[in-house]
Amino acid sequence: MNAEAILPYLIIIPLFGAFSMPIVSLAGKKAREAWAVIISGATLVVASALFYHVWDTKEIIVYTLGAKTPFGQGVDFPIRIVWEVDLFSAIMALTVAFVSFVTVIYSIDYMKHDTGLDKYYTLILVLELGMLGIAITGDLFNFYVFLEIMSIASYALVAFRNDTWEGIEAGIKYMFVGSIASSFVLLGIALLYGQYGTLTMGYLAIKLLQNPTVTAKVALALFIAGLLFKSGAAPVHMWLADAHPAAPSSISAMLSGLVIKVGGIYALARILFSIYSPLGNKILEVYHQPYINMSAVGWVIIIFACLTLIIGNAMAVIQTDMKRLLAYSSVGQIGYILLGLGIGLTAYGSHTGEVALAGAIYHTVNHALMKALLFLVAGAVIHEVGTRNLNELSGLAKTMPKTTFAFLIGAAAIVGLPPLNGFASKWLIYESSAIYNPVLGAIAIIGTAFCTAAYVRVLYTFFGRPSEKIANAKDPETSMMLPMFLLVLAIVVMGLFPWQISDKVMIPAARMLEQFNFEYIKALISLAGGA
Amino acid sequence: MKRTIAYLSLLFILGVLLYVANPDYGLKFGPGGDDWKNLRYTDDYYITHGVEEVGGTNIVTDIVFDYRGYDTIGEATVLFTAIAGAVALTRPWRGDEQ
Repeated sequence: MNAEAILPYLIIIPLFGAFSMPIVSLAGKKAREAWAVIISGATLVVASALFYHVWDTKEIIVYTLGAKTPFGQGVDFPIRIVWEVDLFSAIMALTVAFVSFVTVIYSIDYMKHDTGLDKYYTLILVLELGMLGIAITGDLFNFYVFLEIMSIASYALVAFRNDTWEGIEAGIKYMFVGSIASSFVLLGIALLYGQYGTLTMGYLAIKLLQNPTVTAKVALALFIAGLLFKSGAAPVHMWLADAHPAAPSSISAMLSGLVIKVGGIYALARILFSIYSPLGNKILEVYHQPYINMSAVGWVIIIFACLTLIIGNAMAVIQTDMKRLLAYSSVGQIGYILLGLGIGLTAYGSHTGEVALAGAIYHTVNHALMKALLFLVAGAVIHEVGTRNLNELSGLAKTMPKTTFAFLIGAAAIVGLPPLNGFASKWLIYESSAIYNPVLGAIAIIGTAFCTAAYVRVLYTFFGRPSEKIANAKDPETSMMLPMFLLVLAIVVMGLFPWQISDKVMIPAARMLEQFNFEYIKALISLAGGA
Repeated sequence: MKRTIAYLSLLFILGVLLYVANPDYGLKFGPGGDDWKNLRYTDDYYITHGVEEVGGTNIVTDIVFDYRGYDTIGEATVLFTAIAGAVALTRPWRGDEQ
């Protein structure tokens, strides 16, 4: 099927679903749940078709909204908004659609004791829409618009249980921090537009290489600051540790699995590699032209990555609240992804850099699956037992065997045990960081040691002597078990073919990200020739 | 201590932004002549071709609803989300309905 024909439906379907939800929910509870499942399922189908197409052809899809070509009549600069979908975008779109689909199914029973569910399903579809919009856009201001859609939906969803004090507190904290971060990004966009007069990412990359000014460097600093906030990197991870435990578990799964990655990591990678072209700046350096030192930028990312890695994982060890532990573990795993990204930037052009970048992309997907699973398990435990305190949860393996098994798989995957998917992605990051600089490799290993300690502690609790609290607990109903089963299946199946996935999907994705500008320029030229 | 660092970094950011706002090093304000063609070529295109391509005589609405109509859909969605979120958060507490 033609990719240009299916791509718009990735936005149209969730947009239509979200806007029609208030009307559909007039038909009753069953109708609105069915509608949310249908819409997110259809989005998953579109995202899979898109991913298959991009993976199959290895071509970047450039789609112009409102015309055949982004260029105006008789000029060589783009005047319209474009979508650019490379393999990394397609991977992110597929991950977003899959995790959103399972969390929507999970919500049906998990959220049945809450009120205001028509708003809940509207917001969850808007959240998915915002993330898909970020993944496929090729326009800088459009990226900001969808970043705001995603952020506002997630502020509201974090505070959704408005009768709990922690929900409101975390929501307010998240909203203040997130708005400041967004305004940094907007300021960066304004500076770039004032200096270069265009908002299209690909064309902006060309203009930047022609004239790398100090304005561009300041804008880059603002982007990095804003997006590190959004991804929950240390030392600005404090909102995350409050927001993830306070949100309903289905929302924590989406926040931790998707929002911090699409709004933080993916956007950062897009800006660093597609707008501030490291390759172009290397070439400028060789010819003694003014250039932006992207390998220094990579070191900045690496420093934040190491901090995040250690702080996140170490804080996870000392938590007694199950969801807070998972939230800190998310911070720690973001550290690995940032480490891969940073090495991909500093070691640009070498094999090590490519492996690190592929590892970062791979770990983004893997962590989305494992952390979604772990939060869904935590949700099931809270749903059945009514407490998140690990000290009261001992012996859960006796009364909730299936849930405990799902947790076991998720924990083993996140630590990186070989038959599961976390192993390969972490291995790529360890390998490249150890080759690039042994100190970084050692820091990554220390982070994993803390991470293992944290999860072993939880498992020890689960398999301990049964406490009175859990005597009446049992495994949750099918509609809550099914999403966990789907995620376990995805983790195990991806774990069986780690190197095939790495060679066939992740390395090409890293390559496409690195060479994005040239591919994009080629695509633009072919469009201009065809028009 | 923390507060001092925070104010110092705010001061630093302000300094950097003032440096960038200086036309000698960074952004030019009110570009005219050659600068207009070099820095505001997209705007120039909209003004020159907007009326014939889109049909509206108001350039701003031409841009907001035609050239960059997708952003406007996004803004409408932001508003929709904000309202949905505000309504969701101001609903009565569980057990308080009756």
